[in-house]
Amino acid sequence: MKNEIIEIRWHGRGGQGAVTSAELTAMAAIHEGKFAQAFPSFGPERRGAPVLAFNRIRYDRPVRERSGITLPDVVVVLDPGLVTLIDVTEGLKPGGTLIVNSTRSVEDLQQNFDGDWKLAVVDAGSIARKLLGVNIVNTTMLGALIKATGLIKFESLHEPLEERFGARAKSNFEACKLAAENTVLSQITTGGLKTRRSFAVEKLAKWQELPIGCVVKEAGNTRSFCTGDWKSQHPEWDDKKCIKCGICYIYCPEGCIKQQKDGFFRADMFFCKGCGICAQECWTQAISMVEEA
Amino acid sequence: MASKRIGIESSLGIAEAVKLANVDVIAAYPITPQTHIVEGLAEMVANGDLDAEYIPVESEHSAMSACLGASAVGARTFTSTASQGLILMHEVLMVAASLRLPIVMVVANRALSGPLNIWGDHSDAMIIRDTGWIQIFVENGQQAFDQVLCAFRIAENRDVMLPTIVHIDGFHATHVIEPIYILDKKTVSEFLPPYVHPNPLDPDNPVTMGCFAAPNLYTETRKALDQAVRNSRNIIDETWQSFGTLTGRHYLPIEEYKTDDCDTLLVTMGSFSENAMIAVDRMQKAGKMVGLVRLRLWRPFPTEDVLRAISGAKNVIVLDRHVSLGGPGPVCSEIKAALYPLEKRPQVVGIIGGLGGRDISPENFVSLVELGLEKIKTGQTGEMIMFGVRE
Repeated sequence: MKNEIIEIRWHGRGGQGAVTSAELTAMAAIHEGKFAQAFPSFGPERRGAPVLAFNRIRYDRPVRERSGITLPDVVVVLDPGLVTLIDVTEGLKPGGTLIVNSTRSVEDLQQNFDGDWKLAVVDAGSIARKLLGVNIVNTTMLGALIKATGLIKFESLHEPLEERFGARAKSNFEACKLAAENTVLSQITTGGLKTRRSFAVEKLAKWQELPIGCVVKEAGNTRSFCTGDWKSQHPEWDDKKCIKCGICYIYCPEGCIKQQKDGFFRADMFFCKGCGICAQECWTQAISMVEEA
Repeated sequence: MASKRIGIESSLGIAEAVKLANVDVIAAYPITPQTHIVEGLAEMVANGDLDAEYIPVESEHSAMSACLGASAVGARTFTSTASQGLILMHEVLMVAASLRLPIVMVVANRALSGPLNIWGDHSDAMIIRDTGWIQIFVENGQQAFDQVLCAFRIAENRDVMLPTIVHIDGFHATHVIEPIYILDKKTVSEFLPPYVHPNPLDPDNPVTMGCFAAPNLYTETRKALDQAVRNSRNIIDETWQSFGTLTGRHYLPIEEYKTDDCDTLLVTMGSFSENAMIAVDRMQKAGKMVGLVRLRLWRPFPTEDVLRAISGAKNVIVLDRHVSLGGPGPVCSEIKAALYPLEKRPQVVGIIGGLGGRDISPENFVSLVELGLEKIKTGQTGEMIMFGVRE
């Protein structure tokens, strides 16, 4: 371990706190006298969109690297839906550690992965909802990280949590502890039932292929942009309670809720980001938000 | 070809060229540091002599922004500014180039604050060097008239599609009444084909311009833009050849004056080149073999032409009318960089002078050359040499 740099990649969605997870991890490591970095992947920040955050931790020398992390030792996935959406294990070193927030069992979840890795699974969402009252798992997942890697100590989190959350530091710390207790560790290997999923790879233009002035000629091409990928929960309508008032249609910020021929409303899942505003606004509680599988 | 020789202020001669180019839109901020160029155009539009939209905006930033919109819908677009006005435009200049909008602008080169000084030098031009605009320097009113017409033809060429600046020295050239041959309308309309944007802003065929490029694309966009600026050279050459054939007035990226058999060459840019020519005449008459190399095309930088003109010389003295505070003069450092790959290089000395409206007369140029040669002789070429400073 000495002199080696341990690299962590956090996968989350905008608003879930992946950046906070990385920051707290670095502060804890620095508190212990180690050298550490935390940084986000800079870009347009959109609630619900897949986002990345990173850590580098080194025991006895400063970290000088100023580039992105492509071959991480540890990958932490805050949002269960991301596992089937993007290649969360891309570049994960053989023998590395994959930590996933999921309600699924280890046996079920490992079908999605193809590699020789340590797999740690915890239902962080339930813990966060129970102890913090919100489905934000950034601090909870720190417990799983500690359990799976031992990279930082629980005690080192006290100060950073206190500074960050004040009065709520205690409950966040408890959530972190409980997550560590509930984290299930296993070893997964390549081959067997597992198949390498193919994820969409964006084809990027060569400079010669760019149109003059980088003009975009396909008007309305955002229609093909699947913002529906961003959601971790989706609305479901109980038509028995629905009075067809259309308040959900009016409030939907994405404009993806439409009235059907029978007068009831539905969201276009290709665009729905799962924000939950429709469910919040519904007079008759006809809409409930359901976790993505 | 028909033309009429008249006595006219260079700025108004430029306005005549813009009128002959039959522009559709002029957007300009009319207050200091502005010239008679846009004042003349405003009058032409107001009097009905020029059928164009004249947009008097509230700042130069807005002037260039209005030009972007006009050029993007396919309108032939012109503006003019100088000094502080140009640097207030700076942000939008970058956008004009990256959107590949063939706006033509005349910059009356002047100093920058502070202290407040709007007299002539090249400070404003040098600050906007890297914006992606084609940049041409002229020495007098006739050249400005000619180059404005050439600028539209170069900028709007489908293989170029880049904004273009004609730099003319503030006051020393812009405010001088001199004889200019004004071409007739028919000649200009034959020389200058209409501007057609390949993908204009059009409600019936909507396009997006100016979207963002993440790190995975930005490098490619800059490469494409740089290549476009470099490739524009072919069209610049072709345009100047056609113009030369048409009018008998020939232009080259690097123009040499009496350089044969000269072991010392002076390099200048802009209107002071005319003073330097007089100095060269006098020096050669006195038996000193000093020639003059004038840099006309600043971007794309004509590296090969520079080398052809100066690599055989023993001594090269470069005048910069701008101080890169704490660094080498910008023109001189580019000349030096061009020479560096050669095995055998001339001695190069950079001299800063002609700042904020201070003259460098023909007599001064003789002294400037003597100073340069003295510095080369004593091996003091590395220091910052300022000409005509009280000390």
